[in-house]
Amino acid sequence: MAMDRASLVAVLMTLIVTGITLGLYQLNFQGFTHLTNYSKVPEYDLTGTRLYENGTLLLQVARVAGPDTYGGFIVEVQLLYPNGTTLYSWNSRLLGDIPSADIKNAIPLHPTKSDGYALVVPLGQNSTVVLQVPFHVSPGLYVVRVFDVDGQQSAYGRAFQVEVEVRS
Amino acid sequence: MNVPSKLIPSSPEYVGGKLVTFLPHAWTPMRGLLEYVLLRPVLLYDFIIAFTVVEAVFGLFMILGFATRLSGSVLALLSWGIGAAAGWLGSTCVDEWQIAVMEGSAAAMFALTGSRWFSLDQLLSSKFSGGIRLGKIRLSLW
Repeated sequence: MAMDRASLVAVLMTLIVTGITLGLYQLNFQGFTHLTNYSKVPEYDLTGTRLYENGTLLLQVARVAGPDTYGGFIVEVQLLYPNGTTLYSWNSRLLGDIPSADIKNAIPLHPTKSDGYALVVPLGQNSTVVLQVPFHVSPGLYVVRVFDVDGQQSAYGRAFQVEVEVRS
Repeated sequence: MNVPSKLIPSSPEYVGGKLVTFLPHAWTPMRGLLEYVLLRPVLLYDFIIAFTVVEAVFGLFMILGFATRLSGSVLALLSWGIGAAAGWLGSTCVDEWQIAVMEGSAAAMFALTGSRWFSLDQLLSSKFSGGIRLGKIRLSLW
């Protein structure tokens, strides 16, 4: 019993389209293993952050998940010793008042900016924010951590923190 | 045009800015393309216009049943392109992922079947059966 050509094409296309559908479901949302909604809460990636002996912190902050129409509001940046003790921190009043000259955006549209209450990082943006510790920092390892306005400091299994090394 | 500021690059409502939000989860070929376009504002503007025109023209072709196989193929590519660039947005607004899977499969079906009743293709095929001839190549558009 030979299948005619049209039926063969139909079966083939059904398989391809079903494959694309289920493939997208798994690759975009991990639907078969652990269904995840990446638009739910903001996620930040601080890879590339640098700290210098003179106290200059180049905070490299990328918004890699969360709502596309709103926020990411960073209300606290902490500079910690590896044991967890705070060396210095910037609160929402300071972060809400960073001049735009101190913020470099990777993409000109949807720039990161201070809004008076927080540092607002739009989804997809990757910015270098210049912050200054008002004293010299001795060489060694430190941890930079940021807090979102909802109080979270991790999302989707990633902590919003990075280890930085001050070289002498 | 309902919201003219959507086409003003300095406006916060500029449509081009929407592409920034696609970046974090876009797949490799699409992500590179998006980054390339986003860093070139003139190209970005042209890209937005071109994309809109292609969507509108081939959408209209599909409604009229004109060159259904061709417009089906183009629309399938557009849909799956959106799926690769922004399919992850599906779980919030059931939007981009649905475009990719629904429109993509429907368009692929039309690309294979062509159209019959109430279509321009039906009319054209009664006059020019076998499609258009370009020299020795035969394009079976209907």
